[in-house]
Amino acid sequence: MIRVAHPVLAVSASEPSVGYGALAALIVFIAASMWIGLLANKAMQSGTFMKGFFLGNRGLGAWALALTATVQSGGTFMGFPSLVYTHGWIVALWIAGYMVVPITGFGVLGKRMAQLSRRTGAITVPDLFRARFNSPALGLAASLFIMFYMAFMMVAQFKSGALVMKLAWPSSGTLALSEDAPAFELTTQKLHELDIPAEAAGKLTALVDQRFSTIDEAKATLAELLTKDELDRHWAKILVAGQPIDWLFYIGLGIFTVTVVGYTLLGGFLAAVWTDLFQSVMMLIGVLVLFVLAVSLAGGMEAATRDAVANTSSDFAFGPGYDPKHEGRAYLPLGLAFSFFWVWVYAGLSSPAGMVRVMAGKSTEVIRKSIYLLSGYNLLIYLPLVVICVCGRALIPDLPPGKTDEIIPRLALLTTAKLTGGSFIAGLILAAPFGAVMATVSSYLVVLASGLVRDVYQRFINPEAGTHELRRLSYLAMVIVGAVAVAANIRPVDYLQAIVVFSGTGASATFCVPALMLAFWRRTTVAGMLAAMIGGTGTMVTLYALGIAGLGEETLIGPVTKFHPYFLLGIDPLLWGLSVSFAAGILVSLCTRPPDESLVSRLFDAEQNIESPSS
Amino acid sequence: MPERVDDPVLRSAKREGLVVLAAWLAAMTYTVGYCYLHGYGRTAESLTFVFGFPDWVFWGIVAPWLVCVAFSFYFGATFVRDEDLGEELPEQEDELGLGGG
Repeated sequence: MIRVAHPVLAVSASEPSVGYGALAALIVFIAASMWIGLLANKAMQSGTFMKGFFLGNRGLGAWALALTATVQSGGTFMGFPSLVYTHGWIVALWIAGYMVVPITGFGVLGKRMAQLSRRTGAITVPDLFRARFNSPALGLAASLFIMFYMAFMMVAQFKSGALVMKLAWPSSGTLALSEDAPAFELTTQKLHELDIPAEAAGKLTALVDQRFSTIDEAKATLAELLTKDELDRHWAKILVAGQPIDWLFYIGLGIFTVTVVGYTLLGGFLAAVWTDLFQSVMMLIGVLVLFVLAVSLAGGMEAATRDAVANTSSDFAFGPGYDPKHEGRAYLPLGLAFSFFWVWVYAGLSSPAGMVRVMAGKSTEVIRKSIYLLSGYNLLIYLPLVVICVCGRALIPDLPPGKTDEIIPRLALLTTAKLTGGSFIAGLILAAPFGAVMATVSSYLVVLASGLVRDVYQRFINPEAGTHELRRLSYLAMVIVGAVAVAANIRPVDYLQAIVVFSGTGASATFCVPALMLAFWRRTTVAGMLAAMIGGTGTMVTLYALGIAGLGEETLIGPVTKFHPYFLLGIDPLLWGLSVSFAAGILVSLCTRPPDESLVSRLFDAEQNIESPSS
Repeated sequence: MPERVDDPVLRSAKREGLVVLAAWLAAMTYTVGYCYLHGYGRTAESLTFVFGFPDWVFWGIVAPWLVCVAFSFYFGATFVRDEDLGEELPEQEDELGLGGG
């Protein structure tokens, strides 16, 4: 009873050799990343350890800055395609804010951040916050907020990396696409461990040891055994109990972790940036190759849309988007479409990992060139990805909800199955999401380690620490962060993109207004900065807590996920977070004592007007 | 006491920031407005295509995206002024004595 959605799928499912070439390509990719890590290790030896390891001695050029400072992450290649696959063309509007991200990301704060970080000698974003106001407490607060949001992002990214490794594993194409391994099987032991009422558990005994090739099939059988209410209430727990332990996922997680932590340990910030640059180029190649393959296999873009509509409904081609559960959910109503033009812009503008790269830019020439380089790059990445995933819906119409994150890797295997050397091409395409995830994780490892070692240990615990100790602690911090992310993925998180969005928008609501005040407003005070950060985070966390707890009015908008916020007035929490942060920052600054004029003058006035430059 | 004059990098960054803000507002207003008016709540029969994209996607998203790429090139290549970012604060002057070396 094999369910095959497309004839070509059967071909890929019956050819285990698909995995060997794909794995070979990934190994080449991993080896190249390690080699770059070694090169970076040599290059950073010229300066001091801290500035070399965490800031690359401020030597980034235009290509490195453009293609690495803003977010292409696991979300870009897993979560985002999953959304297109699920909801259709409307997701092009959801991502459309990226058309202005290059100009806003570098054009607003770029110059000032680069200048201020030089004038203060800051190496990290919290360093800059501390030095601009001469306030260690503010630096520590910034560091803690950064670590909070990055922890969420890291967990999601590690899952993405493990997923790609799993799908590239020899014969995993078979595992993932056929019924050799059941997608759902509830054993007697798992049934006993299931934490649901005895009455419902009793009805499940008829299901014990049955093997289902798809989750949908298992759910359909369950629907016959349980009442609708019981199914709705307990489905998530039954699903977890019935899914076999995914050893390939854990092996993938292990290899991914060793690779990315390894090369980041070797070369620090420069390794993160250079491998990011290499991987960004690979991503572009991967996306463009997959675009050509997917569109031709689907019979053209128009045919792909028509087939996808036939497989779903006309909502797939229009706003507010296709509702796979038919529960009246509007994926992107007007309020959210408007919101996401803010979300991507402000998340890019004030992402801590992005800000630190701007601080590392060599000159203003590098920053302005980055604007148009990234602009062209984004155009070639995001629109083709939307088209690819629309083709995905036409070619593989019935991925179950928990598997839609795998659409890009599955399409890569599917579209190359009949090509000569297709396996290796699939590997190159798979390297795109793998690269995106490694790049993100690597840069966050650097930011998190710098937060722990520079902003916490060196500032507050042992200011006298020597180079040797700092080096050892930086390595240790990276290993610990990697281990924690692996531990958090023992039970992989659902809905990557929802977590990526929370982390990105949360950091934005926390840092956007403070970064703008720090750069442009002389009257800003330490209390105002703290109020802006706490106001932004407080608003975001509150609205997400309300949404996750199911409190407040059920709005039936946005993606289908448990990790969703409460959309007050139908608007994304980021806008509320930014508003509260802005109001709190301005009001509290105006109500507190103005900052020391000599401190401000050093960073705001033309040099000939500064009376005491050595302040 | 000399009259206070803003740092030249601060001045140009403010000017460029305002232009960026205007570009973002214009792109958002057009894209969201056009897509809402032409891309929501339609039936499959009304679907037409421009270069393979659904009509509303092409005119509401692809076309303005191309305009933004062109504007970004103009902005980055000619509008943004190159400035001296100043000398790096020497590490030994850091009050915490970070340097290591």
